[in-house]
Amino acid sequence: MYRLFLLILLLGNLSLAQRGKITGRIVEEDSQPIIGANIIISGTSYGGATDEKGRYEIIGIPYGQYTMEVSCVGYEKVSKKVTIDKELTQINFILRESAIETEQVLITASKFEQKKEDLSVSAFVIKPDLISHKNYLAFDELLRDIPGIQVNLEQVSIRGSSGYSKGVGARVLVAINGIPFYSGDNGDIVWEMIPISDIERVEVIKGPASSLYGTSAIGGVINIITKDVAQVPVTYIKSYAGFYDNPSYEIWKWNNNLRTFYGTEISHSSSTGGVGYTISIKKFDNMSYRQNDFRKNYLGYFKVNKTIDTNQSILLFGNYLYMDRGNFLYWKDSRNALVPKDEDNGNTVKSNRFFSGLVYNNRLTENLNSTFKLSYYYTRFDGYGIEVTTSIANLFRTEAIFNYSNRGNFNYTGGIEISGSIVKSNIFSDTRFRGGALYFQTEYRGIKNLIATLGLRYDYIKLDTIKGKNAVTPRIGLNYKITSDLILRSSVGTGFRAPTPAEVFTMAGIAGGIDVEQNPDLKSETSFSFESGLIYSPSEHFNIDVAFYQTDYNNFIEPNLTKTGDIKFINLTKARIQGTEILCNWGAVPSLLNLTLAYNYMWARDIEKNSPMKYRPRNTFNLQIGFTKQPFELNADFRYSSKVEEIDFELTEPPLALIKDGYKRVPVYVIDLAGGVNFIFSNIAATLKLSVKNLLNYNYVELIGNLAPIRNYTLSAEIYF
Amino acid sequence: MKKVLLIILFSVLLLLKCNGGIEPEPVKPEGPTGFKGKITFTGTWPEGVKRTHLVVFKKPIEKTDDFFPPNLSFVSDSIPYGSSVFNYSSIENNFLPIFQLGEGTYSYVVVAQSKTETISFERKDWYVVGVYCNNNNQSSPKELILCAGEITEGVNINVDFNNPPPQPPN
Repeated sequence: MYRLFLLILLLGNLSLAQRGKITGRIVEEDSQPIIGANIIISGTSYGGATDEKGRYEIIGIPYGQYTMEVSCVGYEKVSKKVTIDKELTQINFILRESAIETEQVLITASKFEQKKEDLSVSAFVIKPDLISHKNYLAFDELLRDIPGIQVNLEQVSIRGSSGYSKGVGARVLVAINGIPFYSGDNGDIVWEMIPISDIERVEVIKGPASSLYGTSAIGGVINIITKDVAQVPVTYIKSYAGFYDNPSYEIWKWNNNLRTFYGTEISHSSSTGGVGYTISIKKFDNMSYRQNDFRKNYLGYFKVNKTIDTNQSILLFGNYLYMDRGNFLYWKDSRNALVPKDEDNGNTVKSNRFFSGLVYNNRLTENLNSTFKLSYYYTRFDGYGIEVTTSIANLFRTEAIFNYSNRGNFNYTGGIEISGSIVKSNIFSDTRFRGGALYFQTEYRGIKNLIATLGLRYDYIKLDTIKGKNAVTPRIGLNYKITSDLILRSSVGTGFRAPTPAEVFTMAGIAGGIDVEQNPDLKSETSFSFESGLIYSPSEHFNIDVAFYQTDYNNFIEPNLTKTGDIKFINLTKARIQGTEILCNWGAVPSLLNLTLAYNYMWARDIEKNSPMKYRPRNTFNLQIGFTKQPFELNADFRYSSKVEEIDFELTEPPLALIKDGYKRVPVYVIDLAGGVNFIFSNIAATLKLSVKNLLNYNYVELIGNLAPIRNYTLSAEIYF
Repeated sequence: MKKVLLIILFSVLLLLKCNGGIEPEPVKPEGPTGFKGKITFTGTWPEGVKRTHLVVFKKPIEKTDDFFPPNLSFVSDSIPYGSSVFNYSSIENNFLPIFQLGEGTYSYVVVAQSKTETISFERKDWYVVGVYCNNNNQSSPKELILCAGEITEGVNINVDFNNPPPQPPN
């Protein structure tokens, strides 16, 4: 009887054991819901999945301590210890996207979606979480961390394609959603205009891509893909503030005030009735660590996306930048490294820029897709020095792309492009430019494990009164999967770049006592390049990519000092850039610790003189360490580049010696650290980040007479609601 | 994990190799850097000469391009036609002030003449008539050494129109 009583009491206790309910949301880092994520409570049969709003609910869980595991295809798995000791427990999760390196999808290499493992050229993809975690404030900061890319002040170069020419005549085509983004007068790229918070990913094609993209892509392509508009309303606010540390030497301290920088961005994204939109405004100022190098910026950005039906969609976006900045050209001397030359002090530049693009997609048949792109770029800058220099440029561009795939062995892509610009300027003259192009590319998959690509592009370019120029740029690419984890790729092709109006027609003093001469005889430069690479991916957590590349340039355009002491853009007869690049991604502790190592050896030389080309380091090395243990993340980046051998010695040495101590240059060793914590507070996803850039406070130059940013600290806060 | 630590250790070692990078130049003596001296002319001045300059080159002239900037480092004011003696100072007689002489060694200091009205930057327009040299041997140019903040004196050149020096490559 006593035993029966005990049994009844025990069963009663069991049936009356307290049970709780867990609810919560599972979202991406930008607060977008993750649908269909699985939640299990380890060691039990309890579990659930998220709905279309990312919500989940698990009921009837006995009180106790458990481990919850959340997983979803395309995201890194997360686990968390929880204690159920009350009726309702709310637990939210933030998941990070994960992608196996070779399975990444790119659209830039062939103007249609391809897996990275199917490409015949070197490519690199920067994922949005990386952009966010490293607390980048400007797009060029991000580029400095990409192996094979070098940034000299504002000028970007892939595998040595450019030296330094004040941003004039870019050899890397930067595009937003596939639409080229360079100005109509000097062909420069203004990094401040790029809306960092709306970047979905950045695709980098290393090596000439003229056979698809024409002029400016002779060195490669950087394509910025913006995010899809949010399906549920999301407001995003980011604020940051930071300051520069004291310079290394007391004599460099030119001002006793704390040199600060700050910015605030507010954006809202939503969808209603098949129309999605994103609007954003941003104000960001920087006092700079150097005198007369301040920047005050306002950036406005909008994007509207309409899905007309299952076959048609339209995207319209635009950004406007107002910039008021000092014009620091070169230091006074190495004892006054943060102070400009007396004659340049007080010079300022004000600029207004508006860029807008429209992308219309129409799937005409099951096999035929068409894309129509239209863009307009207005730029105006006024430089205030001894004289006022002004340039106003209007650049129009349109492109139609057709892609046919019958799901057989062939895939065809073709397109037509028309562009033109009108420049009114007292330094580049009043000039007009127009160009047209036709291109075609076919991909063949008829042989097992082999993908062959053949492309051809014809360009016609007419620069004002100068005789029109034609260019034909073919390319052949091969991708062969030797085994399931070893891929061989090879590419041979030609490229070309037409001189920009600024390179041909500039006729002005550029301060510091230097004048620029016109050169209407400047020819287009052409290139012949070869690349071969191997990707070895023995596991999803490790891959190594080795590439050998060589590009021969004819009529390479570089600024040069004339006999009369002026600067003039001239054609170097022949130049050759050869190198090898090794890139290794390693998930040392999957989902916890990731490493990226990259080494690039590059020998860039003027073949006629057998001398190194200016501003190209022979050796570069990058090490990136990312540690994530939700809710914390920590990233450390180290980059090294060897001392550049050749610089503008004409400007640094007697007799001109316009840049005193300008010969001073050193190898570059830079460490950046960024740490952050993600959390959800009252259903608001938030992130706090702290970063230290140039941790060692190492003093180096990217361009002669321009000390790179000294150590600086940034604290930022982001919320999504 | 050991491999990760090795990589980090390697990076730390690499960093230890680097110093603080660019440093300010030590203080240099104040005052101008330059040279002065006397040019003596012997013989009859050639007819049609419009320009006579003292010219300084950083390196010896081995090819036509070496005749111009950046190797061309200094050009004096034009010496009056028919002069027998010309006392000069690189500070006071600098024809192209954009050219600033700095400290260092200059390998070829000459007097050159041209028959063009305006200054020419074509090699073919110039003829060397006197060389700053060792022991009056015009085939053995003497190096001009300039120290920061100092004026080097006694840079004298004899021009003998009857005994012209060897000409640099044309």
